Amino acid sequence: MSEDPALIMAVDDDADFLDIYRHILQRGGYRVACCATPEEAVAAMEEDPPRLIITDLMMDTLHSGFTFARAIRQDPRYGRIPIIIVTAAGSQRGFDFRPQTGEDLEAMCVDAYFDKPVEPKQLLAKIAELLAVSSREVAT
Amino acid sequence: MTYSPPRILVVDDELGMREGCRRILTEEGFEVETAEDGITGLDLFRDHGGFAVALVDLNMPRMSGLDLIQHMRELDDDIVIFVITAYAAIETAVEATRRGAYGYIPKPFTPDELLLPVRNGLERRTLSIETKRLREERERRLLEVAYERSQSSTIIGCMTDGVLVINRDRQIVLRNAAMIRILPVCVSLTLSSPLEALAWDALRDIIDETLCNGSTPGIASRELVLDKQTYLANISPIFDPSGEVLGAVAVLRDITELKKLETAKSMFVSMVAHELKSPLAAIESQLGILLHGAVEDDPAKSKQLAERSLVRARGLRTMVNDLLNLTAMETGNFTLRRQPLDLRDPLRAAVDAARDRALERNVEVCLKIAPDLDGASVLADKDSMFMVFSNLIDNAVKYTPGPGRVTVTAARHDAVLRVTVQDTGIGMAPDELDNIFDEFFRVKNDYTVHVPGTGLGLSLVKRLVEMHHGHIEVQSERGKGSVFTVSLPVAECGISQ
Repeated sequence: MSEDPALIMAVDDDADFLDIYRHILQRGGYRVACCATPEEAVAAMEEDPPRLIITDLMMDTLHSGFTFARAIRQDPRYGRIPIIIVTAAGSQRGFDFRPQTGEDLEAMCVDAYFDKPVEPKQLLAKIAELLAVSSREVAT
Repeated sequence: MTYSPPRILVVDDELGMREGCRRILTEEGFEVETAEDGITGLDLFRDHGGFAVALVDLNMPRMSGLDLIQHMRELDDDIVIFVITAYAAIETAVEATRRGAYGYIPKPFTPDELLLPVRNGLERRTLSIETKRLREERERRLLEVAYERSQSSTIIGCMTDGVLVINRDRQIVLRNAAMIRILPVCVSLTLSSPLEALAWDALRDIIDETLCNGSTPGIASRELVLDKQTYLANISPIFDPSGEVLGAVAVLRDITELKKLETAKSMFVSMVAHELKSPLAAIESQLGILLHGAVEDDPAKSKQLAERSLVRARGLRTMVNDLLNLTAMETGNFTLRRQPLDLRDPLRAAVDAARDRALERNVEVCLKIAPDLDGASVLADKDSMFMVFSNLIDNAVKYTPGPGRVTVTAARHDAVLRVTVQDTGIGMAPDELDNIFDEFFRVKNDYTVHVPGTGLGLSLVKRLVEMHHGHIEVQSERGKGSVFTVSLPVAECGISQ
């Protein structure tokens, strides 16, 4: 493991949220990479792969967050990177897609799901938990 | 109905006979007319009419009794004619009957010998008239029924809803043209085909349910989908007067367009919810960071967070206003106070309103008004025009990184006033232009993510312009900038000046 603080990538089309994540995560002792689109994020990951990804769900299309998460999961280079979804789109067209169980999260190819706005403490606690799990997986 | 006594015509060349008959019959309450020969008798009969009984002598000058009987019969089916003669021969009686006589009274006769056959004849006449009336009525009723049937079948045939009638043996007994359009297989079905011939299980199941549950009256109503069309199927049982189920009638209404509207409405609501929730969540997070003292040591960061909160809150307010205006337009509650308006006023106001923000961003805004605008007016609502121009100018400023320039021009082209808003901003690619007037559509790229916006402004502008019988178009090039052109018709009174 490098001695640098862990790199967290935040993907959101709302510039204010990127700013908010940057602030929260830097305070939490992480390095932060902010991207406005999934495409930008994919390009940035090739340079410097993050330890964890926070992504919005509804960017230019409803599915972009899910599509992005699936693409990351299926890429052998990034398969182990934990993904957290933070979104304001809790339900669409009367269909509630907030995950209720671990299987739901697995089906979505993500590790955690928060409604916007997320409490900084909650977000940091979840990040620490997911990073600890992935470190153990790397170690074994 | 007032009673009028039966009228009797007596035709005889013997005065004694005529007067005798008159006396006997008048005493019995009959109204009597007499004639002394066939021709006079026929004239009386023809001109006065309304005789119930005629007593006719056979041997008369000018026209024989037999000929008179024949003529009278031709004129009136119902008259009861008696032959009165002293020279009775069986052949004559047969001939008289053949020509239409009802009976034969030999002369001389007693009053009773006259009155009895006359009364019988009258009774017969009444019966025959009544029979005839009943027959005519029956025929008329039959005609009416036939007409009603054809009327009902025409109405059912013309209905836009599909109608299908099933008897209790589950056979199809009626389907209208609309039903054939819904289920083309119907056209080849013979009446009395079984329900299964429709090959539509969902419809068959509801009809079966209705036929089985017939004792509980009520309509089964369900939405059915067939070939991407959605139908509302209402099935009701048909009862006979004793309450026994005779069959069922299914009415199918195509509600595909309604369903599409419903989907569009709920998509719009989710979209609005998302667009409201995102900035609120941002504001909540920003205020949370400020309040928890996380940036106390960084005054610049504190200020920036507070400013961004304000921008997002203002954006929300604008969006709510735009939404209210759009809703008012949709429901027809958006009233335009259209009056002859000098467009230069709202243009100047909109430019002035944008100037401060433009300066902050190092964007120059200039307004160029052609001299030919002098005296030309449009029939327009002042507030709406301000909304149109300030939205366009605000957009131009928002999407132009400084240093840059926004040029607003106004000029007259024949019967049209043209206002252009041109910027040196980021512009749009051709594929991005397709949807820019749609609600909530925003071009998303590296630059626009930093620009607050609701995606309602341009759709509002387009509607307002169109409500003023004008139109709006856009030309744009990525990296070069955009030009929005609004064309509005010059008001009549402006031309005359």
